[in-house]
Amino acid sequence: MSLDLTEGSRPIPVVAAASGVAARRRRLLPAFVLLGPVVVFFLAVFIIPVGLMVRYSFLQQMPDGTLSDTFTLANYIRLGAVDLYRNVIITTLRISLFTTIGAMLLAYPLALVIARGPALIGRAITVLVIAPLLVNVVVRAYGWRIILGNGNSGVLNWALSSIGLGPVEILYTEWAVIIGSMQVFLPMMVLPLAAAIGRIDPAVEDAARTLGGSSLAVFRRVTLPLSVPGLGVGCTLVFSLTASSFILPALLGGSFTKMLGTLVEEQILTVFDWPFGAAIATAMVLIVMAINLAYMALIERRFRSRATEAA
Amino acid sequence: MSENGLGRAAPLIYTLTFLIVLFLLLPLIFPIVLSISDTPFVTFPPKGFTLEWYGKVLQDADFTSSFSFSVLLSTTAACGAVLLGTPTAVGLVRLSFPGKGVIQALVLSPLIFPSLVTGIALLRLFSSIGSNDAFLNLWIGHVLVTTPYVVRTVSASLVVVDPGLEEAARTLGAGRFTAFWRITRPQIMPGLVAGALFAFVTSFDNYAVSMWLFDASHVPLPMMMLSLISRMFDPGIAAIASLMIFFSLFMVLVLERLAGLRRAMSF
Repeated sequence: MSLDLTEGSRPIPVVAAASGVAARRRRLLPAFVLLGPVVVFFLAVFIIPVGLMVRYSFLQQMPDGTLSDTFTLANYIRLGAVDLYRNVIITTLRISLFTTIGAMLLAYPLALVIARGPALIGRAITVLVIAPLLVNVVVRAYGWRIILGNGNSGVLNWALSSIGLGPVEILYTEWAVIIGSMQVFLPMMVLPLAAAIGRIDPAVEDAARTLGGSSLAVFRRVTLPLSVPGLGVGCTLVFSLTASSFILPALLGGSFTKMLGTLVEEQILTVFDWPFGAAIATAMVLIVMAINLAYMALIERRFRSRATEAA
Repeated sequence: MSENGLGRAAPLIYTLTFLIVLFLLLPLIFPIVLSISDTPFVTFPPKGFTLEWYGKVLQDADFTSSFSFSVLLSTTAACGAVLLGTPTAVGLVRLSFPGKGVIQALVLSPLIFPSLVTGIALLRLFSSIGSNDAFLNLWIGHVLVTTPYVVRTVSASLVVVDPGLEEAARTLGAGRFTAFWRITRPQIMPGLVAGALFAFVTSFDNYAVSMWLFDASHVPLPMMMLSLISRMFDPGIAAIASLMIFFSLFMVLVLERLAGLRRAMSF
């Protein structure tokens, strides 16, 4: 990044009288003092390490454990071409997609109550939605293990058998990971969605109702389209968080439902194949970046063009 | 606005809301239910009633040392995040200078960057420079992932503070720091408290960075819980889970009382 010293610098009136390098330096001094530490810290322990990790992903581990000294795409080719690893990527994308769709459906009623219900109930639901978010993910995954447990020990199977239905095997399948991820990440969908619905002028919905629109029609034609920006933020968050999670696939997916998070842990902490692990981690970042960019491109452009049309 | 703002569909929406909130609370309810079971295994439905497992867990050295280590790590990380994040927020809200947008994006980026990858990158860094102090490594990682929360909450409360008050204090002869400490700091206290608590909670729950950086003598609570799940089968583990749930719910109440949860989440 290059620091353009002219762009955006707003002269402070008193200082503006003085001119030249000294004045500019005096103007920038507070910024250096206040923001210098954070910039140095973030460069040293975030940007540079991530850069080094990405660089590592282009090296290759030789059979004797040493690293190749030439750059290669071998790790990425291995990730995309070997069935075992390609399936992990596909499973990750599928679980993230189903989780996002499920969370989207579950989020609307909660967001509507938070944004449009009586203030007291809205606040209570907000607290009930955020409270589980502060409970450790390991604990929540453990809770789901108790509920979904296979055989007769699980709560769900106990409930099913008491009404005469056969046991189901959900734990250690993709469905367990999807159910767990939906519960863990649902608040990240509800909160931006409630904020977006809260910004819609209630008079617009009232007008639609006065004109004879049914509740469903008002929701479908007014509330839903106007809540799309919040929905987009929520989907981006839920998809990204699901695609980069480790605890949920590790505790609910078992050894047959591998996601990128469990694969990268295995490659780095068990196999010690650092370059391949770095490539998996980089692929994870690319997925998250792609979903964020897709959101920005699709939603924001659509709304900007609509705004210009309206103007 | 109509009577309840939800129209005629209100009964349906409330029913769905009740069911979905129940779904959200399910994995918090059942560990508590099973933690009082008087059986040698975790099994549903629970039989009998006992608090014996809580007593056992509270005397277990692995659990208590892990808990106090997590409290120490999260407290110091939250302090670090406040010390680093507060000046950052002041600089980003109050000053105008070239490259501000880039710095803002940099400081907030750990919020959307996968923390699992942040952890991997830090492990790579620490092993290549030979940094073997697990506490220091964990502390750096936790400060990194919690600072954005402080920047966000402090910025949100700074925006509504009139900068004229601080300027008046400076005109009257107060130094920059005195003016900030005596005038602005009291006004942004709710944001600072929310940020510090949020940093603490985020650090306390973190596994994505910790899982790469902990060692046998520095085990944060989530990592201890993770290893217990695969080797402990009596309701003691449900008791540990319940204690962690009670602790989180206590933090929820504190956050709601002191800062307002919605504001702390910045939505």
